[in-house]
Amino acid sequence: LCRGGLAERLCRLQNRERSAISFWRHQCISDAKIPSDKSGVLIVKILEMFEECTIQVAICQQLEQSPATLSSKDAVINAGEPILKVLFARETAAHLKSRPQDVIHIYPPWQKLILRNADVPVIMNTYFSLKVLPSEHSETREKTYGLTKMLIRKNIISLAETFRLDDVDDELHHQTSDHQVTCAPQIHNNCDSKKHPLAQSAVNDSLLEMVESQGAVGWREAQVRVVIQRVYCLPTREGYGSRVQGNKPLLSNRGMFCRLCLLVQDAYGMFSEVQLQPLNSADDVEQYCRRWEGKFCCLAGMKILQRTTRGRALGLFSLIDSLWPPVVPVKVPGQSQDSEMMTTNLAPPSFCYILTVQSGEIHVEVDEEEQISNLYQPPAVHGLKEILRMDGCNERCSFWAQVLYLRLQTKQSVPINQREICLFVTDSTLQNMVHMIPKVVAVSVAASCVLSTEITEALSVTSQFVFFKDALWGKGMIICVERTVLLLQKPLLYSAAGADLSELTGPVRLDELDSTTQANSICAVRGTVVGVNESTAFSWPTCDRCGNGKLELCPQDRGSLYCSQCSEVVISPVLKMQLEVFLSCSSRPQSTIKVKVWHEMSFGLFVLINMLLSLQSYEVQSVLGKEVGLLNCYVRSVTSHPNCIALEEIVLL
Amino acid sequence: MDSTLPAVAEELLKEIKKAFKETSHGTDTFSFRLKFIFGPCAVPALDLVDQRSVTRVTSPSGRTAYQVLGSSGKLYTCYSSCHFCTCPAFGFTVLQKSESLLCKHILAVYLSQAMGACQELTVSEEQLTNILLADEEDEG
Repeated sequence: LCRGGLAERLCRLQNRERSAISFWRHQCISDAKIPSDKSGVLIVKILEMFEECTIQVAICQQLEQSPATLSSKDAVINAGEPILKVLFARETAAHLKSRPQDVIHIYPPWQKLILRNADVPVIMNTYFSLKVLPSEHSETREKTYGLTKMLIRKNIISLAETFRLDDVDDELHHQTSDHQVTCAPQIHNNCDSKKHPLAQSAVNDSLLEMVESQGAVGWREAQVRVVIQRVYCLPTREGYGSRVQGNKPLLSNRGMFCRLCLLVQDAYGMFSEVQLQPLNSADDVEQYCRRWEGKFCCLAGMKILQRTTRGRALGLFSLIDSLWPPVVPVKVPGQSQDSEMMTTNLAPPSFCYILTVQSGEIHVEVDEEEQISNLYQPPAVHGLKEILRMDGCNERCSFWAQVLYLRLQTKQSVPINQREICLFVTDSTLQNMVHMIPKVVAVSVAASCVLSTEITEALSVTSQFVFFKDALWGKGMIICVERTVLLLQKPLLYSAAGADLSELTGPVRLDELDSTTQANSICAVRGTVVGVNESTAFSWPTCDRCGNGKLELCPQDRGSLYCSQCSEVVISPVLKMQLEVFLSCSSRPQSTIKVKVWHEMSFGLFVLINMLLSLQSYEVQSVLGKEVGLLNCYVRSVTSHPNCIALEEIVLL
Repeated sequence: MDSTLPAVAEELLKEIKKAFKETSHGTDTFSFRLKFIFGPCAVPALDLVDQRSVTRVTSPSGRTAYQVLGSSGKLYTCYSSCHFCTCPAFGFTVLQKSESLLCKHILAVYLSQAMGACQELTVSEEQLTNILLADEEDEG
């Protein structure tokens, strides 16, 4: 059975009812007396009986009081007494073994149904029924009944008797049914909400109630009012866009297909993730964040995608935990609205419903004009120094930092747009520290963290200040995963618990290479050249347009170079030269320090350098013993046996 | 005497349809009644509705039929002009033993109509004929 569906619900109710019925019957038998509670009891006398399918239909007369006190002679049909049609289920009928003239007491809960074109009301759900015999003739009657077998007429219902669900009024109403047409859903603006028919229906404030009362067949009209705590994008499986743009092949194709999502919370503190429409790129997320976070929103016509639990959705729950406990008291279901629970002792939620919109219209109305809700918890911004000191694992954290350097994961098997990016960031809390804390921290951006093209373009050009919202901190690393949002501007609302969010004054400093330097970090190096790895020294031309390092010889003109990515001849290639230099550094005297050094030169010097390299006459001698100034380097690897550090010279953004 | 049960069933379904048009939280009432009138079909029929198994198939001339995807994965056809379903339970319980008004598939058709949960499919005249004829051949 569908979880949360109507069938499951009925099953549950049925089971409860069944046990109630058998309990009641058992009680009647064991008490050996008629239950004394007379309120709501229907007393009827059967006039005529017949069967339709397995239901026994009894045409009865409703009696004022029990005829147990009357003699059988008095029990005559009184023209004034109302006539009823009482239906008995097969099991009840078998239990009652009733005949015409019998008096039956029907205990609540029974149900009455009035048919439109008939005068006679119908009584159903008559599970709790008892036959009451008039006292005088009880014994003789029983014996007679036991002997004669009663035949009941069975009505065979014609198959042609179909049910018409349409009324005359209904014919004017367009019958709603789900169409297979998929329309582009639109989010209604606030200005439409007054005219929209949704505004007329009752608005609920409990997500759980909406979910439980509707089941899997999504209701269109019921609305729930919730607060939008977070807005973010989740990558969809449908496709990872792969557009290669211009000169920067490294970062360009992060344009994954993604879906706009909201994390909402209702007045009872319950969370739900609402998945909205797919977006082509994450570019609008910053706008939605700005316009929607903290505002109230009405959801209608939601479909339940999943009910997920803490163990299955760690990422989602780490975000929920960061918003727990609620900042204002929340309501408690079942209690009057005046008593509100203190929030300090509430356990964090263990389950969460993931909702999605039905195909067709979207019913998400965000009240952008209204004030921010008190329930909203803006991201708590901390300085990086504080974050590095945090205990715990899988904690969401938000910070504002300057990106100094960017490195793409080099696994060739993974497509470029799904590779991890490593950002090296710093802020004033790290820069102003003297020791024991690194000046620069690595932030790993997983492929599941959706980046807007604005961010990726900005990051590849120059050093940027970026707001990292809801990144994950754990095991000594900061990572950006699903539900983390990177923004170029600070959000309008955030709580800065003593964090210093001022811009950096003065140039950025990197840690100098020393004994504590670890792999996958950046540092500054100074030392003396003690050797050159001649076997690894080489130079190669690259395309000046796209940076392609794999140029080919032109098929037509063997003297020229051709770039297959640009599909054009390269007129002035940029020469890249790579050299590995061994340094001796006073800050880390025990290690062999190998630095891969890059130099780019323009075509003009190409010929000269080429000659010099081939002659190999000058560089080694003239380079040995030279002092190398502060080089900014990326630490590729650190090994202890042999004690060696491999560095690569980098250019900071 | 006129039959009672069909009128009761029809009224019940009309109520359900009305309840689904307005916002109603008291859906338990109709659940109980549904169970009382339709007995063992009620829960399976609701399950079919939950799973959106009912499709109304229409042809350009306006003829309709219903196709219900049963729990076993088999597609059954229900007629719209009278109570008929190609499933074996209908033949046995309704036709032979007259123990029930409908089978779970026909009830699911009515409930889906009442709750607006019918899928819609438009086919050509020929295709609709094939749907109806194909079932005839199976019966034969």
